[in-house]
Amino acid sequence: MNKRIIFSFALLGVLTIVFIVISISAGSAEISPAEVVKILLGGGSDDTAAMILLKIRLPRTLAAAVLGGALALSGYMLQTYFHNPIAGPFVLGISSGARLTVAIALILAARGAIVLNSALMAAAAFVGALIAMSAVLLMSSRIRSMSLLVVCGVMIGYICTAITDIIVNFADDSDIVNLRGWSVGTFSGFKTESLVVCAVIVFAALTAVFFLSKPISAYQLGESYAVDMGVNIKAVRIAMILLSSLLSGCVAAFAGPVTFVGIAVPFLVKMLFGTAKPIVMIPACFLGGAVFCIISDIIARTVISPSELGISTVTSVLGAPVVLMIMLRKNKEA
Amino acid sequence: MSSSSSETGRGTKTDLLYYRSSNGTMLLIKDLCAGYGKREIAHDISFTVSGGEVLTFIGQNGSGKSTLLKTLAGQIPALSGEILIDGVSVSELKRNDAAKLVSAMLTDRPKTDMMTCRDVVETGRYPYTGTFGLLGDADKRAVAEAMELTDSAELADCFFSEISDGQKQRVMLARAVAREPKILLLDEPTSFLDIHYKLTFLEMLDRLRRERNIAVVMSLHETELAAKISDTVLLLKGGKCTGLGTPAELLGKERLTEHFDVSEGLYNKYYG
Repeated sequence: MNKRIIFSFALLGVLTIVFIVISISAGSAEISPAEVVKILLGGGSDDTAAMILLKIRLPRTLAAAVLGGALALSGYMLQTYFHNPIAGPFVLGISSGARLTVAIALILAARGAIVLNSALMAAAAFVGALIAMSAVLLMSSRIRSMSLLVVCGVMIGYICTAITDIIVNFADDSDIVNLRGWSVGTFSGFKTESLVVCAVIVFAALTAVFFLSKPISAYQLGESYAVDMGVNIKAVRIAMILLSSLLSGCVAAFAGPVTFVGIAVPFLVKMLFGTAKPIVMIPACFLGGAVFCIISDIIARTVISPSELGISTVTSVLGAPVVLMIMLRKNKEA
Repeated sequence: MSSSSSETGRGTKTDLLYYRSSNGTMLLIKDLCAGYGKREIAHDISFTVSGGEVLTFIGQNGSGKSTLLKTLAGQIPALSGEILIDGVSVSELKRNDAAKLVSAMLTDRPKTDMMTCRDVVETGRYPYTGTFGLLGDADKRAVAEAMELTDSAELADCFFSEISDGQKQRVMLARAVAREPKILLLDEPTSFLDIHYKLTFLEMLDRLRRERNIAVVMSLHETELAAKISDTVLLLKGGKCTGLGTPAELLGKERLTEHFDVSEGLYNKYYG
């Protein structure tokens, strides 16, 4: 492995730890970093501080890390799948599809039709993500242009959002308190139970994706080359679709819409590492997404404290310029 | 084996058939029909190629050369007929094992985002590497040798997207050769190359088949070059084989003018 890759991994690792500590220390209740470390190590005298730290800030920070990593990884896979650097779970409407089915599940649960737990919510999101993904795939078989495909994805996203709005309007207010909460996207109020479910799903998916890094590297070269290399292209495609839908669905279910992370992070990571090899990109995107979302979350809850910005507000400000940069670069190459 | 339509290339199970011919036949094609879905483009093609031999498809654009090569490369399933590699039907071979035996150099370029030429050549070793695709010493040696053999060693650290067409073609040949295949398939490998690169490319190919005993099947537009390098040529017209034999037998002026639908006067004006 070359020095640049080792250095970049070390950098991302350090950044992750540093920002996790900053994130846990930041907030309206003053807790000194020394005390933070003490509490994390199991000591500390102040019960309130420990409570805030372990029950509120820590789950929130870890959720931002896990789901941020999931988003970036899902984006990376979609970009590889479509050979399109501006594909991502949000622009292709996959997040909105997941949100629609989660809204339906929440309303059914409020009506007492089903008992909703975190795992079931993730399952609902996965189904929605897959439905939206199928619509995108259907379109992609007819559309060759990468920008047109994204436009189609955005349309699918709008359709899903519109249907969600209609359903929400017909529901009682009490049914949808939960939904309103994350319609702007946030990591706040993350329960430890949800965090565990997310972490299990995301790390399982991450492991699966990592084991696919060899066939993904073949797929990257183009379909005919993958076939020449003896890859079962259909199987790889299905695996990529299922895993990216699972990852982006999981984020949509527990944090709501979080924009641009899926596109910006893989691009930035590729620039940092100087390679597009999946075996490097897969863990690197995950780490990069984690750092990106932890930083975004810190900004979201500190700039207008004690009030809070939606997470997407911050990720858009940070991520959208990167997306514009990608498109300008592509334009120059063409 | 019967040539029923159920034998559609790789992956499908047919009755076992193993026979190894004694004369060194590496590739045996019998009654092969190739095309896309219901649209049959090449009909009833049969030929054999031995190790170290070069067979060249000669035909106009649209005569079915690429379709045949794609079928042999496993890119599209055969509609009917048999493809035997070293005596084993391709439908009996696992994808990965087939990839070890046959490597193809196609007309479309790979997407090589931030890949150096060495990275591109290394992808040729894919069927041999383990779960994570990491190259062992033998793989690295094969890559280095292939780049040496194709005069592309000095390009190893250049980005593939930044080198010239002629250089790209050499790197792609190195990639195909790094596989250490028994059969090499090339679809119009000399198109877009200037005369210097055309000739050095064919010289490399000639060395390869002699030194490594590789069976080469390719398509070429340049009949005069095909005549020099091929052991066998197969004339293709409208998807049908109209001649199979040595260049001396088939690439004479009369046969060519008829095959390419040009008048002798026109032919003489530019080629004579």
